[in-house]
Amino acid sequence: MIKTDIVVIGGGPAGICAAINAASSGAKVLLLDRDSQLGGQLIKQTHMFFGSQKQHASVRGIDIPGILVKEMEEYKDNIQIMLDATVLGIYEDGVLTIEKNDDYIKIKPKGIIVATGASEKFPAFPNNDLPGIYGAGAVQTLMNVYGVSPGKSVFMVGAGNIGLIVSYQLVQAGVEVKGVICRGPRYGGYAVHASKLKRIGVPIMPGHRVIHAHGKDKLERITLIKLDENKKEISGTEFDIETDVLCISTGLTPLGELLWQMGCEMKFIREFSGHVPVRNEELETTVPGVFVAGDVAGIEEASSAMVEGRLAGLCCAKKLGFTNPEYSSLKEDYLQQLHDLRSGPVGDGIRKGLAKIVV
Amino acid sequence: MLKSTGIPNEKDLESVIPPKERLAKGPVAIIECFEKIPCNPCYTHCARGAIKEFEDINDRPQLNYDICNGCSICVSHCPGLAIFIVDETYSDTEALVKIPYELLPLPVEGSFVTGMDRGGKPICRAKVVKVQNPKFQDKTPIISLAVPKELSMVVRFLSLEDYYSDSTIICRCEEVTLGEVRELIRKGYKTVEEIKRISRCGMGPCQGRTCQQLIMEEIAKATGERIEDIKVHNYRPPILPIKLGRINGGEKNE
Repeated sequence: MIKTDIVVIGGGPAGICAAINAASSGAKVLLLDRDSQLGGQLIKQTHMFFGSQKQHASVRGIDIPGILVKEMEEYKDNIQIMLDATVLGIYEDGVLTIEKNDDYIKIKPKGIIVATGASEKFPAFPNNDLPGIYGAGAVQTLMNVYGVSPGKSVFMVGAGNIGLIVSYQLVQAGVEVKGVICRGPRYGGYAVHASKLKRIGVPIMPGHRVIHAHGKDKLERITLIKLDENKKEISGTEFDIETDVLCISTGLTPLGELLWQMGCEMKFIREFSGHVPVRNEELETTVPGVFVAGDVAGIEEASSAMVEGRLAGLCCAKKLGFTNPEYSSLKEDYLQQLHDLRSGPVGDGIRKGLAKIVV
Repeated sequence: MLKSTGIPNEKDLESVIPPKERLAKGPVAIIECFEKIPCNPCYTHCARGAIKEFEDINDRPQLNYDICNGCSICVSHCPGLAIFIVDETYSDTEALVKIPYELLPLPVEGSFVTGMDRGGKPICRAKVVKVQNPKFQDKTPIISLAVPKELSMVVRFLSLEDYYSDSTIICRCEEVTLGEVRELIRKGYKTVEEIKRISRCGMGPCQGRTCQQLIMEEIAKATGERIEDIKVHNYRPPILPIKLGRINGGEKNE
């Protein structure tokens, strides 16, 4: 059984930042990720990031793990990294079990930071299991990690930031994007992403829904229907579009299984797209010593995930007696950064969600 | 509208287009960022302090047109690719538009491409004057296009396909190419009527319905005239070609 001060579960932007700050405060940290490299979803994000310089704005997502890993090297005496390691469960006695390359490993930490991220939501329609229908994450993995084109032509379902950005990346990869739909009368992502797609020639079609996929062995055609302002179907407006790939980008939901196992109080928060843990300002859940950061705490951007990671790492270490000499000023800075990132109109939902869940 | 179409409307654009007097002085940034989102690299990267300090990270950029010299540092650092540089002093008839372009292959300097508008529609032929792709731009090359001056606030993207190449057909009825029309204009035929008489453009079955405006645009581009000021060709009957036998002998009762 491995013993350590803090286990960080998930090596995405939130988890890496949490590990850095816990280690820089003096705690021994074990950082776990189920993938064979650190970075989480960042390793697929070929576009420049938003936010401020502190969250690496205008740097491409794919380059951010390198910057963070370099920062982590400063504290290498305090950080152990375990890759290809999937956390299977967390038990009442605070023991984590892990599967790593067919080995079964147990870990007993004093504190836990859960940064497991999110999973994709999937819409229900007939034949949605046909080959050629992918989640946006899979399309990005194929295209941006392995350099494999997902198909010749793609139709995108969902026009949030992910749908708009992945459409743009598909065009960059030389794939025809036949259109981007969303159910509401307005697309949800940033206007700059939509404008970028429009001038490249990709149709953006708010007020549509996929009602049927067709194909014998693989996707060949989809049927769309128009929706009114209230997202109600307008009968008689069905039409077909030929495509060999349908990319689903209809949102994410927090990946909180481990938090449920530990008995953290969870609440369904509409603004965060699923169940998220009740926590305090320092990101500690209702189970003492268990902290959260990033999308598992509520779907947001990578910029705020990184800041949350830093805050959770700092505060979890403090809880175990490792107080960073600059604890107060750092904490204040992180809270201010989070406040700033969430203060505008696109942060409306996040602020509403936080008001329901932060105690 | 912007949030349903992805295209800013005229009112949006008015707020980011500098006054004529400023445009007449030289290059300047056009920041087409119309939504309050948490993002500020344009301001933090502007070495001249031309973009007003953000009090709130959700602020929209505010550009001081007199301090901005159109250096284009902000263009490749804007994660939304929403900043363009326009230089209306490039030549008497053309403006230079600098566009962030993240597709491959890159256009070649000196070649002709097609200028596209904000909706992705082809607008004009454009010469690639420069392709800037230094390391600090981090894979966001900036393409400088020479476009007709009146399109400086319209062209915002490019297609490598040269829609307006010399071999493009302008008059389908008489099979006259754009190159032939350009050559005639170069030789001094500068009205639609003259070009019609010498090339038969507009004398076929459609009687100019396809080619007339295209020829007018081409004359406007070459002479710098406004399209509003260019005369159409003479309209004479018959409006469509008919068999001579129909009019031979006049009206039935005649």
